[in-house]
Amino acid sequence: MDFVLTFLGTLPGAITQGLIWGLMAMGVYVTFRVLSVSDLTVDGTLATGGAVCVILIRAGAPVGAAILIAFLTGLLCGLSTAFLHTKWGIPVILAGILTQIALYSVNLRVMASKANASISVDKYSLLISQRYVRETSLRNPLYFLVIFTVLVIGLLYWYFGTESGSALRATGANPRMARAQGINTDFQITLGLMIANGMVALAGALLAQYQGFADVNMGRGAIVIGLAAVIIGEVLTQKFFINFALKLLAVSIGSIVYFLVLQLVLQLGLNTNDLKLISALIVAVFLAVPHFSKRMKMNQNKGGEKNA
Amino acid sequence: MKHAKRTLSLLIIFSVLFLAGCQNKAPETKGTEEKKQYSIGIVQLAQHEALDAATKGFMDVLNEKFPDQVVFDVQNASGDTTNCTTIVNGFVSKKVDLIMANATPALQAAASATDTIPILGTSVTHYAPALDIEEWTGTVGTNISGTSDLADLKQQAAMIPEWFPDAKTVSLFYCSSEANSAFQVEEVEKHLAELGLETKRFSFTDTNDVASVALAACKESDVIYIPTDNTAASNAEAIANVILPEKVPAIAGEIGLCKGCGIATLTISYEDIGRATGEMAYKILTGEAKVEEMPIEYAPNFEKYYNPTICEQLGITPLEGYKPFED
Repeated sequence: MDFVLTFLGTLPGAITQGLIWGLMAMGVYVTFRVLSVSDLTVDGTLATGGAVCVILIRAGAPVGAAILIAFLTGLLCGLSTAFLHTKWGIPVILAGILTQIALYSVNLRVMASKANASISVDKYSLLISQRYVRETSLRNPLYFLVIFTVLVIGLLYWYFGTESGSALRATGANPRMARAQGINTDFQITLGLMIANGMVALAGALLAQYQGFADVNMGRGAIVIGLAAVIIGEVLTQKFFINFALKLLAVSIGSIVYFLVLQLVLQLGLNTNDLKLISALIVAVFLAVPHFSKRMKMNQNKGGEKNA
Repeated sequence: MKHAKRTLSLLIIFSVLFLAGCQNKAPETKGTEEKKQYSIGIVQLAQHEALDAATKGFMDVLNEKFPDQVVFDVQNASGDTTNCTTIVNGFVSKKVDLIMANATPALQAAASATDTIPILGTSVTHYAPALDIEEWTGTVGTNISGTSDLADLKQQAAMIPEWFPDAKTVSLFYCSSEANSAFQVEEVEKHLAELGLETKRFSFTDTNDVASVALAACKESDVIYIPTDNTAASNAEAIANVILPEKVPAIAGEIGLCKGCGIATLTISYEDIGRATGEMAYKILTGEAKVEEMPIEYAPNFEKYYNPTICEQLGITPLEGYKPFED
């Protein structure tokens, strides 16, 4: 019973973490699913967002402004990858890696050559903090994050319905066809990468506040969590989430599920040296589900033919 | 319609679970048993020899003082700072009696998670920058205290002219992703300047560029200084492979590093600071001391060691007062 109670007690924290990473994963969704490219910039961008936000708040900037500037910095990170890709002809996966590596040095510069910059909720009025995640008062970060996530989904849903957003989706779906329709695909890719990295930096800014520090290593492996969230969300909801807004919601749900599973695994007391193996297994299992369910369907169909 | 129902039920399940989580706050009423049971959560940043030693020292002391009375929940974040947050979330929910946070990001994650459960840090070099405290008095003053792995940097700087009286320039070699290294290098830089030595910083990123940066450091200096730096310690062999053929000696910040690539060190023992943290935990759990009033403690003693193999290889005669280390 204790075990269940403890697990229930971890839920607010795990869900909050899931929602923050869900925003990051929506950025990954924009590149990975809408634009059909793999953008590896995000490992660097997440730390950039966190670093910029923490340094600005410590310098006395209002929290809202710090988060906004972190978002704008994220747009620039995406622009850098897009520039390397569209202007210098570097494959997007490499362009992303190059920007990501470069961002490591940039992040150190942002944090005045320190690997880690802390920000205490006791000193600054942060938007969200892990401290209050178990409270029922309004400063519980969950309320803010739920509303914020809904707003972001609404905004993205609206945008991808506009002419510009449709052009972006067309570029991802079929670049040749899109060009034939007179769409400047390079521009659309640039826009997509910028939006994605802006979202990731935004998530980094929120994450730094939530955990109370920014660290140059905080983005390490972020892309794995982002992809995991996208794929877990798809597998769990593909049958009944058809609408684009719901698909974005599925990303958030996927991210929450990822952290719930991780929390449960940790609570089960497995050897934490195996943590990475377990994370990889979680993702691999979810990745494999669509494959196997497809095969099962095919087998069923074959069986049907024989009977006929 | 069916879909909507499923979505709705999913939402309801989630919100019920969340509410149950929120209400899980009622204080437990502990019976007055003869032997009180304590639960302690240990969050360690990464798998690393020094951090492992600190955790071991901590657990040893408490197992000696409270035989069969402490339940440890030892969790390792495997180097991911995000995992620290997840781990600490579990501890707070479990309502452990005390959290031991091993390394800076682990301490920071714990500090943002709770201001009621006592937190003891270890392997943290400097608490003021780690916790964003401006006026440092030696005591954090909240639910946080702990031990520092700060070595005697002035003494370490003084070792350089002591061992190498002819040296003029010193390379300061460290990993840029280590929170504590830049701080140590800054301090050592000041002390070396007072001793009239020229310094130049060489920071590397990870295993991939450690060799090339080490080579650059060799070309620019007579002696290399490496602070207490986990990443450098993990790469000690790679560093040795570069600097020994170049015949540039290194003074190391701690013993693990010195065993791999250094000439000599003035070191703390991580097991010692782990043990000191364990003593602090004992005082907090028995109610003998309040965590708010406990100042940060430092390593009880420093030990001077030299590396016999490397000294011989470079033809350096060890100074008196230094012990060769035993393997």
